[in-house]
Amino acid sequence: MNKFNRRTVLKIAGGVTAALATPAVLRAQEAYPSRPINMVVPFDTGGYNDRLARAFAPFLQETIGQPIVIVNRGGAGAMLGHTYFMQQPDDGYTILCTSAAPYIPLNILTQNAQFKIDDFSMINLPSRDYTLMATSADSEIENIEQVIEQLQADAGALSIGIQPASADLVNVMLFADANGIDRAGLRLVTFDGGGPARNATAGGVVDIGMVGGQGFIPLASKVRPLVVFDDAPRDGWDAPVITDLSGPDAQFVSGSQRGWAVHSTFIEKHPDRYATLLNAIEQTSKDPKVIESLKGQKLATDWFGPDVSNKALVNTGKVMEQHVELLKGT
Amino acid sequence: MADLIAAYDLLTSSASAWIYLIPGLIVGLVFGSMPGISITMAMAIFLPVTLYMDFLPAIIFLTSIYTGAGFGGSIPAILMNIPGTSSAVATTFDGYPMARAGKHNEALGVALASSVTGTLLSYILLLFLVVPVSIVVLKLGPLEMFVVAIWGMSLLGSLSGQSVWRGLLAGVFGILLGTIGMNTAGFVRGTMGVPWLLDGVPTIPAMMGLLAASQLLNLINTTYLIESEEARKLSFAKILGGVKLAFQYPTIILRGATIGVIIGAIPGVGSSISNLISYSETKRNAPDGDTFGTGNPKGVIAAEAANSSSEGGAMATMFALGIPGGGATAILLAAFAMHNLIGGPQFIAENKTVVYAIIFSNFFQAICLLFVGLLFVYLAAAIVRVPLRFLIPSVLVVSTFGAFAITNSLAGPMTLFIFAIIGWAMVRYEYPVAAAVVGLLLGGLLEQNLIRTWQISRGEFGYILERPGAIFIFMLMVGSLAITTIGKRRRLRREKLMEQRALSPDTAGD
Repeated sequence: MNKFNRRTVLKIAGGVTAALATPAVLRAQEAYPSRPINMVVPFDTGGYNDRLARAFAPFLQETIGQPIVIVNRGGAGAMLGHTYFMQQPDDGYTILCTSAAPYIPLNILTQNAQFKIDDFSMINLPSRDYTLMATSADSEIENIEQVIEQLQADAGALSIGIQPASADLVNVMLFADANGIDRAGLRLVTFDGGGPARNATAGGVVDIGMVGGQGFIPLASKVRPLVVFDDAPRDGWDAPVITDLSGPDAQFVSGSQRGWAVHSTFIEKHPDRYATLLNAIEQTSKDPKVIESLKGQKLATDWFGPDVSNKALVNTGKVMEQHVELLKGT
Repeated sequence: MADLIAAYDLLTSSASAWIYLIPGLIVGLVFGSMPGISITMAMAIFLPVTLYMDFLPAIIFLTSIYTGAGFGGSIPAILMNIPGTSSAVATTFDGYPMARAGKHNEALGVALASSVTGTLLSYILLLFLVVPVSIVVLKLGPLEMFVVAIWGMSLLGSLSGQSVWRGLLAGVFGILLGTIGMNTAGFVRGTMGVPWLLDGVPTIPAMMGLLAASQLLNLINTTYLIESEEARKLSFAKILGGVKLAFQYPTIILRGATIGVIIGAIPGVGSSISNLISYSETKRNAPDGDTFGTGNPKGVIAAEAANSSSEGGAMATMFALGIPGGGATAILLAAFAMHNLIGGPQFIAENKTVVYAIIFSNFFQAICLLFVGLLFVYLAAAIVRVPLRFLIPSVLVVSTFGAFAITNSLAGPMTLFIFAIIGWAMVRYEYPVAAAVVGLLLGGLLEQNLIRTWQISRGEFGYILERPGAIFIFMLMVGSLAITTIGKRRRLRREKLMEQRALSPDTAGD
């Protein structure tokens, strides 16, 4: 009478269990991301990293299929934000958008950070800034030769707007050494951010400014570029590059390198998730629609990939370590 | 003229864009009136939403949030002595005493009307001043900023209350607190090894602690914020009365708006100083200056006219130079960029239509704010009917959340707690808390600009002669101080004469 004997029931039950179980196993392996991803920005709203994160996130979340939540953790030169990021689980649900250089090395060298450079793994650092020496557009200084001449005669002849403990400061010192200018005599005027230092340069409040060059782009018509601290021309500045000025082995450090990073331990623990995330960021960075949108906002999307990005950061860290005494107070 | 017509066309091109105006204002009011949520935060949260809007609705929405939040901060300042933002500090000086005296309706009305007129005036000034302002702003050096900060400090004298020495001591204490952290030359002082203090004492939690928590602890034996039951009413008529009252003092509003526009235009200074300077100028110029701080509506008018008009000043800098004067304008620039309008000195030349359209839409926003604000303020005023045994703990909880939101860590609530104790002790021993707050706000600015002046000048005083702007601001300050001192002396002498005449009837008869 009863069509269901014990065996059939077991079969059905087993089948159902298997049917339910299989996707569950698959889900655990493949369904990353299954919830929103936090993107930590160790700066307050409105800065370059914040703008980059907010401009990139809407496209990345389309590619990756989960919402991206921007978490601003500003303060103490990214020290608080980097520490916070390191305290989050390394499961790929918290990623970082930061100025990896110079801030990670700075935190380590000058602020006794509890982390090492190796604890972070860069996915891509599209924005690579460089120091630009500039003067106000209506300044009497016409070119870099004039600057060198004046500073050689009297190192304090010109006031120099700069951020303390920055790559720019290392560059001004290396520049002084290369040209026989007395380091101790330089008249440095310190500003709390790139913005104020650039405004002071454009307004002629300081004679020359040495600040990240990309931030100068919107003010281009108000300043006269003097020298670009890189080995190739950048952003169309009509000024010599440092390797032309001081020879091919001129010493300089690159400026801020900004972009995306994860915990190093994440790659070992979840290689499959890392591959998904890497792929999503690469795909988004190369999407013409994204490039157009970010370009319009003067934000970088160039794809360098993890190898190049990590190497650039480690190299910058090494040069900064050599000049550590310059980074501890001006 | 062609630009103006084009701007008009742009504004009227899509009626649907305007449906974002009221929601924007409400979002701004709600976020602005939550202690600890800054204007920048409110705008940053809604920035991604605007990516999917057209240009006009996106900008109307964001600037409406800006306008709404600018006023929202004064609601907790008046009702609970909590400045929601640092730009509402001076509003607490007279707003809160007014509320406690049962004039909460009037205080809110006065604040709303002065804010709305301040915003309107600032945009009218902006229409004519965009270009000159931009030229001046970039030329401002550290010496000029230092003099402006000193001007702000002159307020200390009027906050001192009974004892000038106690006021100065509290002010110095505040300045020292303001210099904690890493200074502009990269040296770290007074952090006691706490990494959270590297950026200095978190200002807003510290202010909330000093001003609000200390007051609330003193209210513990009271049952209601307003003692008398009849005064505890919500009255639309009285709010309107406050609105009318504000319009009886056009000079105060005009002075506040001018100070607000000029100071607001300075990048990085903005509304947190303009309200203090406007308050102290108004207090010194008012014949009843002595009653400031005890609930004089003129104090509220001065503070609100200045802090709301700083919005226009900050916009001027943004339009003319394409550089953000503060967090809020940085977000606006990002929004422009999303629609392929790039900031920079060429911005205004290339986008005149857009600039005029934004200025006009702000006129509408200010007018709408009057009506939306009236309704919002009426609802918010219901707080005075909540028994204090419920209100105090709720306010403390909200402040703690706000403090957490600002620092994103326990550092905020801990700062709030520590400064609440300091504030309570200061009130207990009759030191003026407000003087410490002013010192805290201006301490860092004073120190950093003094250091920079010293760096540029290499310590030579002759540098002052190279900065005519600084000399001009300094003379303006000294002149203003001198005129009011002489005026006050004359008035006192006259009053004394009158008294003497009244006392000796035989001479009075002559």
